[in-house]
Amino acid sequence: MPKRRKLQTGVDWIQLESTAADWRSADPVLLTNILGQLHLIRAFEETVLDLAGEGLVHGPAHSSIGQEAGAVGSIVGLRSTDAVNGSHRGHHQFLAKAIEHVTGGKLNLEFLIDEPLEALLRRTLAEILGLAQGFSGGRGGSMHLQWLEAGALGTNAIVGGGAPVATGNAWAQKHAATDDVSINYFGDGASQIGSVLESMNLAAAWQLPVAYFIENNLYAVSTRADEVTADPRFSVRGQGFAIPSWRVDGMDPLAVHLASAEAIERMRSGEGPAIVEAEVYRFFHQNGPYPGSAFGYRSKEEEGQWRARDPLERTATELMKLGIVDETLVEGVREQSKMTMTAIAEAMLEPDPEREGRRRIRPELWPDPAVVDTGIRSDGSELDSLTTVEPADHVDAWRDVTFVEAVAATMDRRMEQDERIVVLGEDVHRLNGGTNGATKGLFKKYGADRVIGTPISENGFFGLAGGLALDGRFRPVVEFMYPDFMWVAADQVFNQVGKARHMFGDNNTVPLVLRTKVSMGSGYGSQHLMDPAGIFATQAGWRIVAPSNAADYVGLLNAALALEDPVLVIEHVDLYGTKDRIPDGDLDYIIRPGNAAVRREGNDVTVLTYLSMVGHSLEAVEETGIDAEVVDLRWLDRASLDWNTIGESIKKTNNVLIVEQGSRGPSYGGWLADEIQRRYFDWLDQPVQRVTGREASPSISKVLERAAIARTEEVVEGLELVRAGFGGRA
Amino acid sequence: MTIVRMPEVATGTGSAAIQSWLVAVGDSVSAGQAIVEIETEKAVVDYEIEVDGVFAEVLLAEGESADVGTPIAVIAVGGQTIEDAIKEAGAERGGANTSTDGGDAVQSQPEEALSEAEQRAERPARPAAAAASAPSAALAAPASAPSASEANGADRDRGKRQFVSPLVRRLAREQGIDLTGVVGSGPNGRIVRRDLEHLQATKAASAAAPEQAAAPVQPPASVQPPAPVQPAGAPQHDPASTGHGSSFTDVPHTGMRRAIARRLAESKATVPHFYLTADCRVDDLQALRAQLNQAASVKISVNDLVVKAAAWALKDVPEANATWGDDAIRQYDHADISVAVALPTGLITPVLRGVDQLSVTEVSAGLRDLAERAREGRLKQPEIEGGAFSVSNLGMYGVHEFSAIINPPQAGILAVGAATRRPVVSADGEIQAATLMTVTLSADHRVIDGAIAARWLSAFTTRIENPLSIII
Repeated sequence: MPKRRKLQTGVDWIQLESTAADWRSADPVLLTNILGQLHLIRAFEETVLDLAGEGLVHGPAHSSIGQEAGAVGSIVGLRSTDAVNGSHRGHHQFLAKAIEHVTGGKLNLEFLIDEPLEALLRRTLAEILGLAQGFSGGRGGSMHLQWLEAGALGTNAIVGGGAPVATGNAWAQKHAATDDVSINYFGDGASQIGSVLESMNLAAAWQLPVAYFIENNLYAVSTRADEVTADPRFSVRGQGFAIPSWRVDGMDPLAVHLASAEAIERMRSGEGPAIVEAEVYRFFHQNGPYPGSAFGYRSKEEEGQWRARDPLERTATELMKLGIVDETLVEGVREQSKMTMTAIAEAMLEPDPEREGRRRIRPELWPDPAVVDTGIRSDGSELDSLTTVEPADHVDAWRDVTFVEAVAATMDRRMEQDERIVVLGEDVHRLNGGTNGATKGLFKKYGADRVIGTPISENGFFGLAGGLALDGRFRPVVEFMYPDFMWVAADQVFNQVGKARHMFGDNNTVPLVLRTKVSMGSGYGSQHLMDPAGIFATQAGWRIVAPSNAADYVGLLNAALALEDPVLVIEHVDLYGTKDRIPDGDLDYIIRPGNAAVRREGNDVTVLTYLSMVGHSLEAVEETGIDAEVVDLRWLDRASLDWNTIGESIKKTNNVLIVEQGSRGPSYGGWLADEIQRRYFDWLDQPVQRVTGREASPSISKVLERAAIARTEEVVEGLELVRAGFGGRA
Repeated sequence: MTIVRMPEVATGTGSAAIQSWLVAVGDSVSAGQAIVEIETEKAVVDYEIEVDGVFAEVLLAEGESADVGTPIAVIAVGGQTIEDAIKEAGAERGGANTSTDGGDAVQSQPEEALSEAEQRAERPARPAAAAASAPSAALAAPASAPSASEANGADRDRGKRQFVSPLVRRLAREQGIDLTGVVGSGPNGRIVRRDLEHLQATKAASAAAPEQAAAPVQPPASVQPPAPVQPAGAPQHDPASTGHGSSFTDVPHTGMRRAIARRLAESKATVPHFYLTADCRVDDLQALRAQLNQAASVKISVNDLVVKAAAWALKDVPEANATWGDDAIRQYDHADISVAVALPTGLITPVLRGVDQLSVTEVSAGLRDLAERAREGRLKQPEIEGGAFSVSNLGMYGVHEFSAIINPPQAGILAVGAATRRPVVSADGEIQAATLMTVTLSADHRVIDGAIAARWLSAFTTRIENPLSIII
């Protein structure tokens, strides 16, 4: 019989309840603040549901009615430099944080709403209604509700999407040597999703001051909590990640506050993350003004039981017991809140001329449709003060390096000059510069606080980097070991980082660099070998550079690091070892967006290509003897493409061949060919021709891999196809 | 059952006639056998069938003609009886029109975008084979105005699509180049940039072939029947024949040549021309011209004054400044005059607009510019369309007098001859020397009656003989 011994985590998991003594000894200012905030939020949410009932809220209205105490209890007392973010059901957290910011934590119950508070409520409602005066110009609405000044980082429409962002914010707070904290709010429904679990692990491993506040309202839409997990006490997750956790009655704001205070103290003292689970109940259905019982997944009885525990009632009762308020005052608070919200709503509405008895939003309050595509990316003015060098024109001395040495050298130079730059990725801190040597020497020089080896959690650590970039005190350089790992991190890469600037009304900068290497030819197989350019080119918010040589790499990486946008830097295993050269003594120059390089001038066909295929194209041109003009695109995203150079070339040659290496499906050239035929139709003497890999992703067998990708031979074929298109007189 | 349809024996012919049937109903026929002699204006060719079967029915008798694509015979195939074949054919034809696009085993050769000349050049000894494989598309009635876009439209009408790269379409449109009949060397017969460049080089080059003298047809004995029919009045030169001993050069038809052929043939055939001739005394005109050129930096020619005088005459007699339309005669307010410009490979008539409002200097500069650009092939489409009247001057070649063919849809053209010293009889019976220029007005009698034409010519002559009235 084996020897067995029970193991313990040694990590606290506490159920906390308030006592009468706690109520008695609580600061009355704190308690009146709580009461006031609860009423303001309740009145606000009721107004939102009313408007939703009138059909005036475009999109969903996820009401927090019934859950206010979880937000108010944990947020009251936070600083403006502390941060919160929430989920799709986040009005209450947003308002609590914003009210705390605007009022400095002091509410006067008799004169509850002054001008700044009224303005806050109005702008919040405007944002939810999609109006121009909202915090994000009406673009974000309920589920992307952000006010950075108040520490409201933004609610998130993706379940669990905000967890990595809050974790990154906490990382910034800690490494900026503050004792500020971040709280990420989500529900029972999000407690199973990968981004949350990855974030908890990262926070614990790196001792970050972030709290994961789980509002357990027992239902995810219509699915009960006990249907989706084995132990529906969600704070149990702390045990798995060595994170101390608290469970409280979320309808008791004081209990919430006391538990949160313990968690916050732990975080401010640098001991690491915390989890707080508050049992709450949303009185209405997931979305809209009807009770959940109307949809059949819970009983009216149950709803009645919870309504009896309404936090507004509970708080008022306790305060009246303590003699801090009387009934009149409470009613007065309620009245003021309701009247203010009614007035705010009315000011935004007018009778609908087309529907009798109905109201509509005043037309002049809508944002101008003309701004629909503004604020997707920066205007590039941050590059103005930097020097541009075209390496092809460099006449002074050169320094011989391999391509990958240029990568490390440029990173070193930038990290030396800018303390904000940090590197995150798997094994970047070991193996003498990561798996390819790209970060060689950096860990030794800059230490574990700036060169960070991450756990294998692409979604988590990329999202954390996104949180860093949004905060702005640090500028992350993230490495994905293989491009296909973008799929693992897809939500954070595309839904969060890629959309943040535009979605929040151009109030954010996102200075993040993502480096990855195309590895076709390495035998790593179908799941490792994509070229990411095509997929990233579909994302408006991402910029893309693809350097074909070391000197270009320096200029392009420098530009990428200077831009206030997310930039994908594509490298290639074939290029890393090549003996190359860079201008001696200058690692600071940039190559601006909109600058392609003509590698070979010619008259008969324009070859558009990038990365390692530039070399293959030049070889193929030599072999076929065709007088081709080879254009190295360098900047690949739609906004940064150099149409001047491309257009001039096409008008000269009348023939186009787009050359890339990877498989056809996610290929880059499809959208480019489409755009070219639209712009230059009348200059084309034959269809835009393409060289790509084959249909399927390259597999591991050496022979099959070679057959699946494009190299020089395939470009030769492409050029011959173009030649055939010259006609019989060529 | 296979229906034999009238083949397009030569590219560009819309119809042909049965000269004689070489088989009779009930005869077995095999692929490659000549079953009928088809006759066009230019040639008589044997038509070879492509299936094996039994000749079932004659649908078009000897001597009869029909449009290309019209059913002419029925072949029973695959063991079918003649009666069944005829019945089946009748059913098919009952619903079918004479469209040449119908799928037809006999005509199933893939369409070749080869020009007539190139087909002949490749297969001079086998015109029958060439004819059999000729594209089944028939030429519709020729379009009246030669333009690239209309050529493509005409192609569509014929059911045959001409593949042209977007680049070439644009350049051809901009330069007013007609792509009719142009051969594309790109994939699928696409006309590509180099084809256009080749075409332009051909047009601009002065490799003018000498006029082919009409030579009697020398049909190859192996193919032609003993008594070839020579349609009266048709051009006798048949490049398809291998005559014995006469050397020659084929000048492939350019788009321009075809356009000229089509338009002027149509004009001569359909427009009721009549002609008025007058002699103009031009001593004063020449003296005025000399005076003007002393003062002017840009030299004014006699023709400039002639064109201006013509414009004046059109103002004097506005009924002559008109064109024929389906429902109305269109009278123009301004004198837009076409001027014939000879090119190495043909003729083009750019239009000078508003001559009535231009000074003689402006007329001179305008005509010079048009002629220059015409010779360089750089005229734009709007510059070769329009106008109600033309002037054609062959005086520089020493031609004394000639009649010109009206450019449709215009109503008149003035043919101007050389100014020569001739004897004239003065009022008192004395013979003197004077310089005379003979002009002939061709007029469209649908639009311009005799009296109007005469008044116009009189107005013109008056202006010429009182040259100051031209330059006021």
